[in-house]
Amino acid sequence: MKNDKIQVLVVDDEVEFASTLADRLELRGLAANTVNSGSDALVSVASSRPDVMLLDLKMPVMGGFEVLAEVKEKYGDAIEVIMLTGHGGAESGKIGIEHGAFDYIVKPFDFNELLEKIMLAFEKKKSGTSAS
Amino acid sequence: MSLFGVCEADEHPGGFKRFRVFLFLAMIVISLTPLTIITGLSYSQYQELLWKEEHDQFRWNAEGAKKTIEAFIDELASVVKFVSREYTYEELLDQNKLDRLFDRLLEEYPGFMDIGVFDSQGIQRTYSGPYRLKGYDYSGQEWFDQVKERHLFISDVILGYRKLPHFVIAVSNKKEGSDEYWVLRTTINSDSLQNYISTISTKASQDIFLVNTSGVLQTRSNYFGDVLDRYPKFVPPHVGEIIINHDRKMGGEILHATTVSIEKTPWVLILIKDGYIHGKEWLSFRFRLGMIFLGSSLLGIIVIYQISSVLTRCLRDSSEKRQALLAEAEHTSKLASIGRLAAGVAHEINNPLAIVDQKAGLMMDLLELTGEFEYKDKFTASTKGIVAAVVRCKTITQRLLGFARKMDVKLEDLNLNDVLKDVLGFLEKEALYSHIRFELHFQKTLPSVYSDRGQLQQVFLNIINNAIDAIGRDGVITLTTRRLDEYTLQVLITDSGPGMPAEVLKHIFDPFFTTKEAGKGTGLGLSITYGLVKKLGGEITVSSEVGKGTTFAVNLPMQDPRGETNEK
Repeated sequence: MKNDKIQVLVVDDEVEFASTLADRLELRGLAANTVNSGSDALVSVASSRPDVMLLDLKMPVMGGFEVLAEVKEKYGDAIEVIMLTGHGGAESGKIGIEHGAFDYIVKPFDFNELLEKIMLAFEKKKSGTSAS
Repeated sequence: MSLFGVCEADEHPGGFKRFRVFLFLAMIVISLTPLTIITGLSYSQYQELLWKEEHDQFRWNAEGAKKTIEAFIDELASVVKFVSREYTYEELLDQNKLDRLFDRLLEEYPGFMDIGVFDSQGIQRTYSGPYRLKGYDYSGQEWFDQVKERHLFISDVILGYRKLPHFVIAVSNKKEGSDEYWVLRTTINSDSLQNYISTISTKASQDIFLVNTSGVLQTRSNYFGDVLDRYPKFVPPHVGEIIINHDRKMGGEILHATTVSIEKTPWVLILIKDGYIHGKEWLSFRFRLGMIFLGSSLLGIIVIYQISSVLTRCLRDSSEKRQALLAEAEHTSKLASIGRLAAGVAHEINNPLAIVDQKAGLMMDLLELTGEFEYKDKFTASTKGIVAAVVRCKTITQRLLGFARKMDVKLEDLNLNDVLKDVLGFLEKEALYSHIRFELHFQKTLPSVYSDRGQLQQVFLNIINNAIDAIGRDGVITLTTRRLDEYTLQVLITDSGPGMPAEVLKHIFDPFFTTKEAGKGTGLGLSITYGLVKKLGGEITVSSEVGKGTTFAVNLPMQDPRGETNEK
């Protein structure tokens, strides 16, 4: 089932946002899926392993950090996580990195910047070494 | 309502005025009442004391005078008595003997004018003296009867036939071997009496003289005239003990007169003295007391007036400051609420914004993959427009959120130029609306400063806000950044406003000082700014020229206040 396309899972409780983001990624040749809650994310990841997860920080019931912890515990470096932070901004992003996230980007962001980060994350996963 | 509503003075119009008046009156009463009482007491006590002392002395003088006059008269009377007993009636009928006796008498007592011997019928039998009175009949005369009865008679001072004032001393004795009386009579020149009186007069009395019970002066008086003139006041017939009267002479002076009879004579001794109110002691005391009282009262009134004014003013200032503080706190809290509101709004807006952002992005993506169609250009342009608008929204919400963030001190390397640009972003619209433009002279190679972004933003926001207010409409605000010296960076903010005079400049950083009208500013902005700059380890100064404009200079250390330099 897996091809050369980078597998991305978009986790965000804003439905429209997540789907549009996924569409744009698809247009650029990535394979993108969306879920709209933390629990859905864990279920999805269990069955199909994405390369990169775009994880919104602020979600009801199960927040971004919780999901991050679970994913990192279960899957370690197999899934690289990029935090999508809103008002929390840089601080939250840095905390995320401390807890295992690859990087973060502050909403609203520049799409191309995000793309760059996804690429770097994929590189890291592929090489299996820590990003420098 | 405590004490005339003192504590609520600020709530009532004219409350402070009333408070000041109340304070003034209360202090005046408290301080002047004892002063007045004591002054009054001193006055009356001293007056009483002087009066008593004077009276006592006067009385003592009178006693002394009375005793000496009596002694004087006694002595003269004794002499006459002695003579009348030493010689018999028959012996003294001898004219020669009488003459010789009289001469010897005169040697000792030159005051004697004559001496005469009278038989029991009152006929003068022998006489020695300058007048021719031998043979005169004195039987009807009162004195003769009196001397026969009392054995000693002293007369008033009279002029008589002689034109010289004199008085008589006469004694009577029984003839040897008989029941009949004979009389020895002498007259004495009243000069000797006068001289004697003169010698006993002292400084203690202004006038001392004798009168008889009919009010005829027996000796000269300073106030009432010469011998045998009338003494105008009432003389009681016999005054056994010393009586002191207060008289009031014309002109309102108080005189004391003391009256006492001289025993065995028909005379009354009178001493006259000016009352103490003429005394130097009393007058100087009154003067000093008056001066002290007036001086203290005046001083008291002036000092109390000042104190109550100053105190009231302090109270009023305090009250005003308190109200200003309350207003400022309210203002701040309102701002905080608005800040929170704005932050909330920004958060909320971010989500739909993100959606629009992505959707528009998707549209752009799709357009690129789509071939030509009618109106594709217009469509593309519109979509670009949406994206651009979203970018603007992003900047706005970023700024809003960035500024509303909690003000914990967070030190980091900052580029002052960027910080200033952020602040300008906030004020751009307002400035544009007032036709105020910004001129930036930023040093491109400005080293970074290690400080707290939020506080720096607040500092510059305050200053630039003031600049905008100062200009009003149509002007220029110039922002300059540069490295001042090895350790300091400088930010200069100059406005083209009306400038400030030196008087205002002096107080510009004072809390609660504002030149804006009431309600338009609490006067705390610049004082807070001053405090902030100081906290950041920097200096803030202002220079201004009326008509030219104002420049604020903020100097910041590149060095971390903790001691690490920030050289780049």
